[in-house]
Amino acid sequence: MTTSSNSAAVPAIDVAGVRFSYGDIRAVDDVSFSVASGEILGFLGPNGAGKSTTIKMLTGQLKPEAGDIKILGMNMPGRREEIQARLGVCFEEKNLYLSMTGRENLVFFAKLFGVRDFEPEPLMERVGLSTRLDDRVSEYSKGMKQRLMMARALINTPDVLLLDEPTDGLDPVSAIAIRGLIRHEAERGAAVLLTTHDMHEADTLSDRVAFINQGSILTIDTPDDLKLEYGRRSVRIRTRQGDGVDEQVIALDEAGTEDRIRDAVSVEGLMTIHTEEATLEDIFVEFAGRGLAG
Amino acid sequence: MTASRIRAIILKDLREFSRNRFFMFITLLVLVCYVAVFWFLPDSVDETVKIGVSNTILSTTVGGVTESGTAGFALEIYSSEEDLRTAIEEGRDDIVAGIAIPPDFFESVAAGKTPTVLLLTPASLPPEIQLLLDGAVTEIAFGIAGIAPPVDPITEAVVLGTDRAGNQISLQQQMRPLILIMVLMVETFALSSLIAIEVQQRTAVAVLATPVRIVDFLAAKGIFGIGLAFSEVVLLGLLIGAFAVNAPAILVILLLGAVLVTGFGMIAGSYGRDFMGTLLVSMLFMIPLMIPAFGALFPGSAPMWVKALPTYGLVQAIIRVTADGESWSQIAPSLLLLAAWGVAAFAVGAFILRRRVATL
Repeated sequence: MTTSSNSAAVPAIDVAGVRFSYGDIRAVDDVSFSVASGEILGFLGPNGAGKSTTIKMLTGQLKPEAGDIKILGMNMPGRREEIQARLGVCFEEKNLYLSMTGRENLVFFAKLFGVRDFEPEPLMERVGLSTRLDDRVSEYSKGMKQRLMMARALINTPDVLLLDEPTDGLDPVSAIAIRGLIRHEAERGAAVLLTTHDMHEADTLSDRVAFINQGSILTIDTPDDLKLEYGRRSVRIRTRQGDGVDEQVIALDEAGTEDRIRDAVSVEGLMTIHTEEATLEDIFVEFAGRGLAG
Repeated sequence: MTASRIRAIILKDLREFSRNRFFMFITLLVLVCYVAVFWFLPDSVDETVKIGVSNTILSTTVGGVTESGTAGFALEIYSSEEDLRTAIEEGRDDIVAGIAIPPDFFESVAAGKTPTVLLLTPASLPPEIQLLLDGAVTEIAFGIAGIAPPVDPITEAVVLGTDRAGNQISLQQQMRPLILIMVLMVETFALSSLIAIEVQQRTAVAVLATPVRIVDFLAAKGIFGIGLAFSEVVLLGLLIGAFAVNAPAILVILLLGAVLVTGFGMIAGSYGRDFMGTLLVSMLFMIPLMIPAFGALFPGSAPMWVKALPTYGLVQAIIRVTADGESWSQIAPSLLLLAAWGVAAFAVGAFILRRRVATL
């Protein structure tokens, strides 16, 4: 297992003022953020927002036009090979060798990482594929391929995990399994950068979330703080009125809220009380003026 | 560390290649078919024209004339004109034509008459051979009659390209470079397909997200492509006897040929979008690259544009070693030309593949 030689004060991922363009199109513009060891940062944004371009710069695939990227205290792309040896990447596309078995895929990448005496069985056990170890990947379902992608990202016990839509299109069982793995890796001490469209996933998994749109980061904060600061909280109270149902929505951030709630619940025929808060998508729309889809 | 990573990629490519039924089928098919075709072709060229003569009395005289003055003719003696006609009609004894000399030939000449010498030819005889035989009959008749021909022409033939008179290249030898190049081309397609798959499925991105450098990746592809093409062409060369003369030179020529086609394989693989796309792009390279090999089937000097094709040096070097037994120094110009093209193609192929992978 590789261990970080950096002190806890140094962020595992430190991106400062990074910029990248495809021709005349500015894909990433002055993006800055950091991820500490053991932290999960959710990277939220619609397609074309600049998420994948940012990840490509973090993996060393693209060289930023401006700004600095430091991973584990080392400059990327200056010390690319050293960084990549401690990096785990799960790509959005299922870029596995289809004619090879799950075992052969993992063993091949273990050789590229220089992992000695690599045994694929425990890793495949963790992703629930131990019985399909010697089947060709072409015979795997989409969910199984995604789980194998996660296993591949963990081959070198990475200190930094870059996960691009790791649960996209998965059935709920597979998605839960993948989220469990991500959480476990963070608890182990890995810094995780997670891009996702799934607001629930970002909300439940991420310690902090970053909203990115049109190449720029709009805000970074914890999901709870974002909801508290920007979201509209309310209480929805339903009461029976004769043969009908009466419903009141009382905003929590307005004056006189407590009295209104007290009055509403003191009447006869109380049916349900629901607290409601804004979702991350609601907050994103507020920031970006658009939704995450598309 | 770099070496072990390159080795891992090469072994992975080999595994993928061996599991692709199409590649394996084509590879085996090419080996079996080309070897069978090669050994089916005639391995020698008979430059002698065999003609039948019907007059047994005069046959010795005719034979003397042909041996002394008309090289390239062989005589088959028949007892009568009827026998000669039958042999030509039935296509016996490999004779291309017959000369029926009348029994009273001498008497007629002595009496100052003009005897009729009949030239019997099958209808299928090419006109140029018939013209040649007309002249030969006239000359033989003058020889027998003891009268000199009215002219004594001295002909100096201007030969375009290598003069092969008396040293003809057999069809087998002519086909050898074509067969070897075809095998190299098939492996070009295999390599380009593997690269195209790696690009299209973006597995190259996953590989390059590990400590593997782009130069390691390119080196692995290059070594695999060269190794695959070289090993198969050497195997085929062994099966068609290409190493009978100056084996080290042939090995060097084939290695440079493998470098050349690997460069083109990288280019085709970089541009191929799918199986059919890769096939199409590969064909764009294969067809012009095979032209010099086809050109070797026909006598004469190659036009300038054929000499400018990358495989011209490859074909020339193979022919000059296998058919003419030329030495290292004699084939040096062809080798240098081939090496220059090989290095250029490989460098361009690696450059294009590098750019393609970088933009994934």
